[in-house]
Amino acid sequence: MSIADSRRGRWIAALLVLLGIVVALELFAGVLGVLVDIVDANYLRAVLRLTVPIAFAALGGIFAEKSGVINIGLEGLLIISAFTSIAVAGLLGGGDATQAELWIGFGSAVLASVLFALLFAVVCIEFKADQIIAGLAVWLIALGLAPFASKVIWGQVNSPPIATLNNWTLRIPTTDVVLFDASPPVFMMLISVPVAWYALNRTAFGRWIEASGENPKALDTVGVDVRKVRYTGVLLSGFFSGLGGAGLALGRVGQFIGGGTTMVNGRGWIGITAYLFGNYNPLGAFGASFLFASLDALQIRLQQLGYNVPSELIGIIPYVTVVVVLAFVGRTRLPSAAGDHYESGEE
Amino acid sequence: MSDPDDAPGSDDGGNPAPDTEGDDSDPDSNPDPDDSWQGRADRALGRLVDASAVERILISVAALVLSVVVGAVVILVSGWAATCQSAFFSAPGLGSFCYDPVSVYRTMAAGAVWPPYNLAISLKETTLLLFTGLSVAVAFRAGMFNIGTQGQLVLGALGTALAVVWAAPFVPAGIVGALVLVPLGLLAGAVVGGAWGAIPGALKAYADANEVITTIMLNFVATGIAFTLVAEVFKDPESQTVQTRSIPEFAQLNPVYFDSTVFSLYALFGGLAMAGIIYWLLNGTAFGYDLRTSGLQPEAAEYGGVDSKRTMVSSMGLSGALGGIGGAVYVLMVASRWRTGIPSLGFDGITVSILAGNNPLGVIPAALLFGALKTGSLAIEFQLSVPNQLVGVLRGLIILFVAMPEFFRMVGRRFRFREDRPVATDGGGGSSADGVSGSATDGPSGTIDNEGGDRQ
Repeated sequence: MSIADSRRGRWIAALLVLLGIVVALELFAGVLGVLVDIVDANYLRAVLRLTVPIAFAALGGIFAEKSGVINIGLEGLLIISAFTSIAVAGLLGGGDATQAELWIGFGSAVLASVLFALLFAVVCIEFKADQIIAGLAVWLIALGLAPFASKVIWGQVNSPPIATLNNWTLRIPTTDVVLFDASPPVFMMLISVPVAWYALNRTAFGRWIEASGENPKALDTVGVDVRKVRYTGVLLSGFFSGLGGAGLALGRVGQFIGGGTTMVNGRGWIGITAYLFGNYNPLGAFGASFLFASLDALQIRLQQLGYNVPSELIGIIPYVTVVVVLAFVGRTRLPSAAGDHYESGEE
Repeated sequence: MSDPDDAPGSDDGGNPAPDTEGDDSDPDSNPDPDDSWQGRADRALGRLVDASAVERILISVAALVLSVVVGAVVILVSGWAATCQSAFFSAPGLGSFCYDPVSVYRTMAAGAVWPPYNLAISLKETTLLLFTGLSVAVAFRAGMFNIGTQGQLVLGALGTALAVVWAAPFVPAGIVGALVLVPLGLLAGAVVGGAWGAIPGALKAYADANEVITTIMLNFVATGIAFTLVAEVFKDPESQTVQTRSIPEFAQLNPVYFDSTVFSLYALFGGLAMAGIIYWLLNGTAFGYDLRTSGLQPEAAEYGGVDSKRTMVSSMGLSGALGGIGGAVYVLMVASRWRTGIPSLGFDGITVSILAGNNPLGVIPAALLFGALKTGSLAIEFQLSVPNQLVGVLRGLIILFVAMPEFFRMVGRRFRFREDRPVATDGGGGSSADGVSGSATDGPSGTIDNEGGDRQ
């Protein structure tokens, strides 16, 4: 059996396990007589909203890692942008911020995330930091900075609740027929995924990103600056994570929660698993994010329905699944130069 | 994702250093004829232990100083954003600044050691951080990132609390009981933490699952399992909150010298001894050699007859056991039961280990420093109303700066450059944005450098 075959086999096995977990849980819920309550349009809508931070983190991670810089600080970028979005919108408009103020918060959050990613890029590319440790540092800095700033602004690690973004509704023109009605970040995600796929697979930029991670020397030889490509990859990871974090905070929760692991609660790490599972393909990563989010939605739903199952135990389902999936998928083939510094020959 | 083939702050293991400008500490500059894997591994080990020791200490100190400076900026900015009655400094057009970084750091330093009660709290933190720092360091030396010390500690603490509460009725109260229960509690913590830590080790060894992600995920799982077990099965019936029954008074590590605190000198001595034991284990035993070799050069270790998969599992088990003992000490000395809201000692352990260059003996000063930092942060919140989460910011900054030794080397080199060749400041990193033209025409030296940077 070739390596590719065995990898494919493991991947399929992981997919089956994941589907098995979903089905088993839903059967379990079905036995309790609530399957109908759970899987309906509202449930799918909830899943899409929960997919937002995971899928955006995954998209960002793909660009960074394909370009050769492993960004495991995605969790930290989500935290920073979630915090910034609420802080800016709250400072502008307080508890009942207008939509315009929320959008300013949204934009500031993306900017903050990109700036953080820039910091990470400088540290990794200019100062040749160990990417894994620097990524951990980005996460830990965010984990400290966001609650610290929350306390400075609000006197406690949680913000007061504020408004969320109004839904966008897609209608068939000149009629009242609603095609799709969802929170703006969900729209953005559904647009970003195919755009990211197109950019990576059908454009010159995508080929540069690929070459920058696989064979930077070749890219250098044809006259493309590897450093610029890598900066772009990392900044894109900041951009997407910014959308994800702000989408989580302003699209769904309407509050910043800074206690413990914060409101992001590991979704950045799950995003990393999602793109490994999706084998660096934006479409696959989105699929994996959707599956993880559906587990998350399921555990939230089971808790809401108030079954006599300890909520903390149901709460660990997504995390256990990530571990199981990683065990089956194992080591995906990294871009061969990922994690290495590249020196063009000028010094 | 890539293996941490060497520890932060050390020389880059496999890279022939591109700079020839008199970096004396770089052993790559005189090539060793022994090019076998074994020879390379020995040299890599030697390099880590001897040659870069001074540089590593310098980098840790520099990283610490830089963190304090950046922390001061954070304090200034947050003081600008905060509202307060009396600003320490205000300028027209700039606004007013509530917090004075100098006085914040002064309060922090003073609050860490005075009054004696605070000193005891600092040493209590130090004791716990010794174990979590050693836990992270052991995994690091074996080439793995154990971000899961927190989960290992949480479950180890639960194991300790349950074992001691269960065994308490069978032993006589008093010193005899303590001599049975305390070792039992430590053992239970070590076993549970070790078993939990071995899981990501096994997943990495046999299924190639990235340990950074699995350990972080297992932290969430550990907290959920511990909470559920206590809430559903082992809850103290007399309490409203989710916690186990209290361990008996005689099994608690009582304060020695520092009365009415939750700090026991015995535990501190235990932690210091543990640092010595781990140092000896890593540097003086065959197991330690296998562990370090598979951390630095897994292929070389395999070639040299080390079962690197089993080493991965056992070193993660050892790492988890140390985290579990940390949890045991937390129960026996601080909380006297398992309860929710266990502080993030595991994450602090990452900083301690990285600051210590992952050297077990280096963990001692790092834990001391970080313990003081944590206690000092309580003082700044209490006295100056600067949020104690500042210490979380510093925690991340320290790791970031230790991770970029090249930055400090560049700074160092820049100074040397200025003295030796004042003209040479122009040719550095800034101009490489011009693309490839330079490297294509730069002649032999450029080509060689290019190879060097590109080679794994």
